[in-house]
Amino acid sequence: MNKLKLNSSSITFLPILVCIPLVYELFINFHIGGIELFKEFIISALNPKINNEIIFILLKRLNETILIAFSSWLISMIFGVIFGILSSEIFYKILNLPIFLKRFLNLFLTFIRSIHEIIWGLILMQIYGIDFSIGIIAICIPYIAINAKVFSEQIENINLKTVESIKQINGNKYSTLITLVWAPVIETFKNFGLYRLECAIRSTAVLGLFGVGGIGTSIFLSFQTLNFRELWTYLWGLTFIIIISKELLNKFNFSNSSKKLLTSLVIALFCISLFSLSFFVYFIFYKNAIPFNSINNLLISNLNFISYDFLKLLLETIVLCLLSTGIAISFPPILILILNNKIGITIIRIISFLFRLIPPPLLILLLLMFNDPSISLAAITLGFHNAAITSKLLLANLYNQNNNEYIAMKSLGVAKRSSWLFGLFVKQANSYLAYCAYRSDIIIRETAILGVIGSVGLGWQLQESLSSFAWEEVLIILIAYSSIAIVGELINGKIKSNLT
Amino acid sequence: MINPLLELKEVSYKNNNFTLNKVSLSIKSGEKIALLGKSGAGKSTLISILNGTLRPNKGRVKFFNTEIDKLNLYQKSKISTIWQDLRLIENLSAEQNVNCGLLGKQSFLFAFKNLLNISSFNKAHQYMQVCNLKKSIFSKNIRKISGGQKQRVAIARSLIQDSEILLADEPFNNLDPKLTSNIKDLLLINKNKNKIKVPNTTLISLHRLDLLDGFNRIIGIKNGEILFDLEKTKLKKFHLNKIF
Repeated sequence: MNKLKLNSSSITFLPILVCIPLVYELFINFHIGGIELFKEFIISALNPKINNEIIFILLKRLNETILIAFSSWLISMIFGVIFGILSSEIFYKILNLPIFLKRFLNLFLTFIRSIHEIIWGLILMQIYGIDFSIGIIAICIPYIAINAKVFSEQIENINLKTVESIKQINGNKYSTLITLVWAPVIETFKNFGLYRLECAIRSTAVLGLFGVGGIGTSIFLSFQTLNFRELWTYLWGLTFIIIISKELLNKFNFSNSSKKLLTSLVIALFCISLFSLSFFVYFIFYKNAIPFNSINNLLISNLNFISYDFLKLLLETIVLCLLSTGIAISFPPILILILNNKIGITIIRIISFLFRLIPPPLLILLLLMFNDPSISLAAITLGFHNAAITSKLLLANLYNQNNNEYIAMKSLGVAKRSSWLFGLFVKQANSYLAYCAYRSDIIIRETAILGVIGSVGLGWQLQESLSSFAWEEVLIILIAYSSIAIVGELINGKIKSNLT
Repeated sequence: MINPLLELKEVSYKNNNFTLNKVSLSIKSGEKIALLGKSGAGKSTLISILNGTLRPNKGRVKFFNTEIDKLNLYQKSKISTIWQDLRLIENLSAEQNVNCGLLGKQSFLFAFKNLLNISSFNKAHQYMQVCNLKKSIFSKNIRKISGGQKQRVAIARSLIQDSEILLADEPFNNLDPKLTSNIKDLLLINKNKNKIKVPNTTLISLHRLDLLDGFNRIIGIKNGEILFDLEKTKLKKFHLNKIF
């Protein structure tokens, strides 16, 4: 037998091995205590509560959700572009600025990106109390950094020879800059912008679970009272705005827009940037914060806190990331391979939509109905939620590509599954893995949400420390989170550059 | 009377920019057919109809007297094709690509083992050597080898399939004169060379007239119509003038 050769296709299937310890632990922790409740939850999906009162609340909550999501999306896109340009090498080359500024900015963006919006939300809520604007700011902080990274990566792809040739013209530096970055910025906005709006809506819903407002708050309150019919009314409402927002923005076509419209848009965006910047400054410096008594302790190291238990939580978080990433990578291709027909693909699309729709904190609470809390439970929650996202991308790419090789395979008399594997999947394996590498960055950040719900890892400790206003502990946990995320990002960056 | 191996009856096919008009053709076992025509004459479309990947708008295609869309997977594997665009699988090695020719006769487990590189490559290596491929390229990624080497990998993949008929769409592109001659001999003359089985019946599309030696039947096609179909010995210059 030959030596196993790890190519991108085999790497996508092998992480399924994480299921061995997962299934074992889930089997040990299985109980049927909440199975009736779970049945009720499933049945309620087809029978949501509809009356005047609930419709009124739904509309009010949807209104709040749209406002938070849309504002945070717009602000984070605008600042994402600005920081994306500022953190790209081309900016420093054209303006002849020292490159260490770029490194400093990148480090700062990496830090704020590494902390999940839920954590930002919880911290801001502890400092400023519950406020509508908390939701917007909490989403904006990491989203600006994430968007900046994507825009900067696309700007870095500009051919250096093009940069040199434009520089040779010796025009105004800012004109040169705008000429070079305009096309990649618009292209990235078209490809990536809509997806970020969907993310902002989901993040708003998740933040709502923690009391910020919007549809998430209603979802969480219905769950606490076990009113599943009401819960599904809100979930279908959330589905509705995700679909509608996508459809509306899809209709907006940049390439067909008139020059007048584009100019008005640029002016509007500029005004929004100025307004949002002033809002940030006002919020941070003038709004009355709840007394932040222990701020002086922030920089005093608390060595007792970094104990065996803390290291155990740290290790748990890393294991949770690895297990969830394994599921998110391997489940979609294996499921598509097994259910490789029209009905099967439709089932996968529906299931993955539901797993994307139900926020992970709610999902884990549902799974806790018939399983005790454990790393495995948190891992399948995060894993399935992310697998739903990776499967959406994989399906879109698989069936939008040239299928000549698939036809060739079929003409050889090769069975459908083998033809799919070699004729369609192998071509996509590289880009799928590269996307999964990016997804695992997000999984690292998302471990915090499940921890906060009371499951495992550092998130649990964070919730405890925040509730007791132990800011020095919060700082240590944030540094720990950030370190894991930064190391993860570095490793994933290497993997991505090797794959592409 | 010998039953035809592959048969087209009054086949018409139309897409946005091309029409194949009432083509009838009968291929018998052991025939070596050259399909001649200019670029865009309809050679590739005809081959795609013959191997069942394009469904004609009118007419019937039969393989061993069975409608081509009613063939089971095993029967389908008896028709092999060398595509003009090769259709090799990027991201896999040359030997993994050649092993793909065996997928029609093997289980899904073989396909998966091939993907993980843990299947046997002995048979693939045998066919690759016959196609003048050096050992050093066996395990190389398909993206890292030259056009001529890719061409020979595609030929090896079609031969390993152990089919009854080989349909080849301009298989000598990218090959130097010596390799062209070797590969042509392999496809047309040498049976059981180095204990490998080469299909007894071949239909090869060409637009080079210097490659007609070794064929026993010539079909000329122009604008989707067969203009002549005759034995090689009866081919005259005016026939060629009709199609070029």
